[in-house]
Amino acid sequence: MSVTENKVMTAKEAIGRFVKDGDHLVIGNYTVGTCAALVFEVIRQQRKGLTLYSQSGVFDVEVLVGGGCVDRLVSTYVYRAGGKEGGSAVERAMKAGTLEMEDYTNFQYNARLVAGMHGFSFMQVLEGAMVTDLFNKRSFLGDDKYRVIPCPYTGKQILTVPAANPDVCIVHVQRADRFGNAQYWGALGSVAAAALASKRIVVSCEEIVEHDIIQSSPHLTVIPGYRVDAVVEIPFGAHPTEVLGYYNLDRLMYALFFMSDMNGDGLKAWMDEWVYGCVDRHAYLDHYMAKHGAESLDAIRAKAYYSAPANYGAAYTSCWDNEDRERSMGVTLAEMERILEERGLLNG
Amino acid sequence: MAKKYTLDELLIITAAREIKDGENVILGVGLPTTAGAMAKALHAPHATLMMESGILDIEPLVPPNHIADAHSCRGFSYATDLFSMFTMTYRGYVDVCFLGVAQIDRFGNINTTVIGDYYQPKMRLPGSGGAADFLSYAKKTILTMRGGEFVNTLDYFTSPGYLDGGDSRDASGLFPRGSGPVMLLTTKGVFRFDEQTKELVLAKVHPGISVDDIRKDIPWDLKIAPDLAETDRPTDVEIDFIRRFAPTEAVGRKLMYELAIAHSFNKALARGK
Repeated sequence: MSVTENKVMTAKEAIGRFVKDGDHLVIGNYTVGTCAALVFEVIRQQRKGLTLYSQSGVFDVEVLVGGGCVDRLVSTYVYRAGGKEGGSAVERAMKAGTLEMEDYTNFQYNARLVAGMHGFSFMQVLEGAMVTDLFNKRSFLGDDKYRVIPCPYTGKQILTVPAANPDVCIVHVQRADRFGNAQYWGALGSVAAAALASKRIVVSCEEIVEHDIIQSSPHLTVIPGYRVDAVVEIPFGAHPTEVLGYYNLDRLMYALFFMSDMNGDGLKAWMDEWVYGCVDRHAYLDHYMAKHGAESLDAIRAKAYYSAPANYGAAYTSCWDNEDRERSMGVTLAEMERILEERGLLNG
Repeated sequence: MAKKYTLDELLIITAAREIKDGENVILGVGLPTTAGAMAKALHAPHATLMMESGILDIEPLVPPNHIADAHSCRGFSYATDLFSMFTMTYRGYVDVCFLGVAQIDRFGNINTTVIGDYYQPKMRLPGSGGAADFLSYAKKTILTMRGGEFVNTLDYFTSPGYLDGGDSRDASGLFPRGSGPVMLLTTKGVFRFDEQTKELVLAKVHPGISVDDIRKDIPWDLKIAPDLAETDRPTDVEIDFIRRFAPTEAVGRKLMYELAIAHSFNKALARGK
C-alpha cells in the first residue's frame, strides 16, 4: 500500500474494509491493551466463520465467541468465570458443538507466528511437550498441529509447529502516526509477531502523533508503517483492559463482565448493553460515564512516569562544515566541481 | 505474642520462602506474584522477578493483576518478548517458577486444561498458557493447588512432572537433569517429592488440619515424611508486609469480594444511582 493513501479512518470503516467473513483473524494483544473497540466493531458487523487466534483468549475471545463470530479457535489460555459453578462462552460453544479449539502452549502459539513473521514454514519448539496431551490430543489441525523431525545437525528428535500467517491482525497500541508506524511499550508479549505474521494489519491507538515523535523514538515502533492498512485513533480503545501510560485495568467493569459471563443469558445482556447498544467507542464511554460516573474513569487514568529520552543525536547532520567545505576533502562544492572539470571526469 | 494470620497469608508466605536470594524467578498469576514481591522485599533482594509476557526485573509496588501487568511497578529493567522469555527458560536461566494446579497425580504431573473429555468438556479450564514449557525447563517448580484435586489418572496431561516416577523424567532425555516440581502447596499442607520414587510426600500440615483430613482427598496410599511437622508459622514482619502490600489477598477472595461489592454499592448510592 502506498504511504500517500490515507490510512486514518474510523473503526467501522477499518473493520468493514479489512476483516472478511471466514478470515483467520489474530488478536495482536496479549493479556493487556486488548483491542476491545476493534473487537466490538467486528461483532457489530456480524463477521461469521472466523478462525480466531488469541495468545491469551480471555476478554476478546469470550465476546467474539459469544457474538457467534468464531467457528475455530487457536489459543493457549481461555477464561472461566466463577470457578466450578461458572462457565465461559468458549465452554458453552464447545459443549454445543459450535466451536472447535486447538490448544498450544504460550511458546508454541507464539512460535507459529514468529515463523510466519519471518517467512519460514515451521519453527522448532521445546521438546518436553511431546509427552503431554497437547501433543497427543489434536483438533482441526490434525497431523499438522505438530510434526517431529530429526535435527539435521545433532540427529536429535525435535518438535516443530507450522507457521501461521493469519489474514488479518487487529491490534491496539499506545500511539501511531498517520502512516501506520505503531509504537507499543510495556509487556511486549507477542504483539509484533502477531501483527507482522499477518497479511493485513488494522491498528487502533490511544493517540495519533506527528511523524517526528516516531522518528525520535524508533525503538518503540513495533509495526512499521508500510505493513499497516488502517490506523484508527480510539482513546480508551482497550477499556476495560489497560494501556501502560494511559489507564489501568478497570477492575469493577472487568469483574462485572465476568460475573455476567458465567452463563449465556448474562453474557448476551452484557453485550446488548455494551457492544450492540453502543454504536462506537464514544457512545460506549458516554454510557460508561452515565452509569458508573466520570470519576470511575478518572480513577484509573495513569500518572505520568516518562522514559528517559534516548539520545539519537550525531556529530553533524550535513557533509558540509560551517564554512561550507566538505568535511573530509576540505573543498567547497564549487571547488569540487571545478576540480572534476579540470580532471576531465565530467561527461555529457 | 506472635501475630495471628489468615490461611491466605500462610500460603503466600510459605511460597515466598521458597525463593532464595539471587534466583531468577518466573511469577505466575495470583499468589506467586505476591509471594515474589514479598521475597524480594524481605529476604531475596537480589532475586530477579520476571513474567512470561517479557517484563524482567520488576519491583512490584502493588500486587500484579496478571502476568503482563507493567502497571504494578514503576518501570522495569528489561523489556523483551514472550518468545525470548521461553528460550531463556529452555537454555537454563530460570531457577524457579510457580504454577497453579487443577488436577495432580502421584508423580506431580498436572492438568490445567479440562475436566472430563477434551473434545466434549464437562469443565473447560484455562489450558497450558506457559505451564507445560515452564514445568519442562525451569530448574525447579513450585506447584500451588487451591480447589483442585488429587487423581490417579489426569483427565488431560497438560504439564510434565515426574512422568511415571523414579528416574523416568531424567531417562526420557527431554528435560534438564534434576529439573521438575519440588513442592506442592495446598490449603491443607505442604508436599515434597520422594528422592527415589518421585512420588508426593506429605511434609507439613497447616494448623488445625489432621493427616486424615489430607488422606481423604488422596486416592492412593499417601507417603508421610518421617519428620512431618506443622507448617512453619509466619513472622510478624512477613504478616505486616502482606497486609500492607496486598491487603485484598491477605483477607482472601471471598471476604474481598464481599467488601468490594458493598463498597461499590455504597459509592453508587452516594452518586444517586
